[in-house]
Amino acid sequence: MRPQSAGNWLALPVVAALGALCLAPLAILFAYSFFSVDFVTISHDPSLKNYARILQSETYRGLIARAFGSGLLVAAITAVIGYPVAWFLAKRAGAAKTMLLTLLLVPLYSGDLLRIFAWRVLLGAEGAINRSLIWLGAIDAPLQGLLFSPLATHIALTYNYLPFMVIGLWLAFESLDDAWLEAAADLGAPGRDRFRRVTLPLTAPGLIAGGLMVFVMVVGDYLTPQLLGGASGVTVISAINDLFGTAFDWPLGSAIAWTMLAILMLCFGAGATLIRRSSLVAEGA
Amino acid sequence: MNRRDLLKTALAGTALGAFGPAFRADAATGILWMTWENLAKDDYLAPFIAANDISLTKTFIGTDDEQFAKLRAGGADSVDLITPGLDKVEYYTASDLLQPIDFARVPNAAKLYDTFKQTPLGKVDGQTYGIPFYWGINPIVYRADLMEAEPDWSVFFEGDAYNGKLAMRDYALEGIMIAAMYLGIPESEMFTMDDRQLAEVKKVLKIQKSKLRTYWNSIGDLTNLFATGEVVCAFSWVPPYYELRAKGIDMGMAKPKEGVIGWCDTIAVPKGVEGARLDAAFALVDYLLGPDYGKMLAVGGPYAQSTSAARDLLSDEQQDKIFVKDLSVMDSFVWKQNPPRYGDWVALWNEVKAS
Repeated sequence: MRPQSAGNWLALPVVAALGALCLAPLAILFAYSFFSVDFVTISHDPSLKNYARILQSETYRGLIARAFGSGLLVAAITAVIGYPVAWFLAKRAGAAKTMLLTLLLVPLYSGDLLRIFAWRVLLGAEGAINRSLIWLGAIDAPLQGLLFSPLATHIALTYNYLPFMVIGLWLAFESLDDAWLEAAADLGAPGRDRFRRVTLPLTAPGLIAGGLMVFVMVVGDYLTPQLLGGASGVTVISAINDLFGTAFDWPLGSAIAWTMLAILMLCFGAGATLIRRSSLVAEGA
Repeated sequence: MNRRDLLKTALAGTALGAFGPAFRADAATGILWMTWENLAKDDYLAPFIAANDISLTKTFIGTDDEQFAKLRAGGADSVDLITPGLDKVEYYTASDLLQPIDFARVPNAAKLYDTFKQTPLGKVDGQTYGIPFYWGINPIVYRADLMEAEPDWSVFFEGDAYNGKLAMRDYALEGIMIAAMYLGIPESEMFTMDDRQLAEVKKVLKIQKSKLRTYWNSIGDLTNLFATGEVVCAFSWVPPYYELRAKGIDMGMAKPKEGVIGWCDTIAVPKGVEGARLDAAFALVDYLLGPDYGKMLAVGGPYAQSTSAARDLLSDEQQDKIFVKDLSVMDSFVWKQNPPRYGDWVALWNEVKAS
């Protein structure tokens, strides 16, 4: 047996396990999205009714748009914050790099719920920020909008997922050869042009990869909006949860889930194309 | 010990472990009860285990829906007893997952309160599939130190004194029931509301949303919100009332005259259970409706059994705590039912939350 053939056979169990554990449930979900439900009986006559319901429903369309809007917003904010942080870690931190990277990841060890409740302690009416502002005389009464608002949700989401953006960017900065920047400077390019024409294109793959990671995680996060978003904390994921659990409408829940998945796959496709183009630009450079 | 000996020992241990359940099965009939964790505390069940040659395994549920999903997905074969809500039994019977209760094997069922004997819920063609087990109410709980008067349902729909200080459970069934009670829709029409009535409900629920601090999903979370003063009044479960009073906070509990939502969980036996396992399952059902368990549930819960078996064993204060001192209180209860158009209810609830 040739080594390559043996490798294929050895990989077979892994591929089979992936197929069974990952793809098969998605395929089942896809099939369900064409069924319908009558009380607790699922009818297996296929139709596009569930997808039509999503298109016609302002609520579900709005929730899907809101999820992707939040994903884009948080990805953008984390990119703006994460870019200089990653640059500093890769190019200026020196011996403190390992310690700083570990510090960056420490919040991720604490668990979602703990981080959410920590934000409540900070942002609540009786929380640290409101108490400090009152003590300083800046406000007379607590700012109610700090907690249980879209603001609170997006602050926490940014905090939760910033490390993923920084890691992606840090890797890109690590592989950025400073000689390119020196050459650009030698050729008379001012700082802004060096950033726009050298640094940004060469770190774009990290930016896009980090952005996609943050985007996907924000779109799928329902705990943070639910616990910090207050009365406006409903998400498309919690709506899917209601459909699967409370309403026993697995087909409509599956159709919304697959709509989300299809849009995410499109985003990934666009991201992969952008990364490939960026890499080509980098190779060309 | 060399590596070969170590492997032999490990293999022998594994083999003995594999035979273990078989040996245990000879010694006692094993049954599995799918239930809420707070109902199956070891001390509640110790007298039953001591008096019977039965080994009881418990598996805990987080929601009623999760329990149903597990059974629908094929889990019924391995479970001997389940704990569905009285309003949810219909899901299981429509899915042909349950067998009728054999009352001859449950003598304590004779002591069921009349309201549970007479309820049409949990029954099909006169046969009971989910026997009422324990019950309670979901009232309004509020910070008496931060509110001027005892609230009723209107606090969630009128006035602005407590805007941004209210909370509602994130649950379509109860949320819509409360709006219907506020609108004066009678119980006889509540679960079969037509489009016009549902439109009215939606209108007031949108007003309600504008007054809420948040929708709550976990009772522990709501308790924290009360304690920190983020929320002063909520449609709640009973536990935060007692828990926070014990910590010195002046809490109030209101049972609005327009109606109070009553809940009741049942015990049901999946269809495939038979033979010695069925005998053991019914023995446990009888124990759960009996005085020993009832007293411990009343003191430790505090929750009320569906039978009067333990009532006379409790002090007046304990009876009052679980609402069995004056049973006429049940007259104002609106028991949860499963609306035929529940899918529309859930869609409406999501529309309100997303508005």
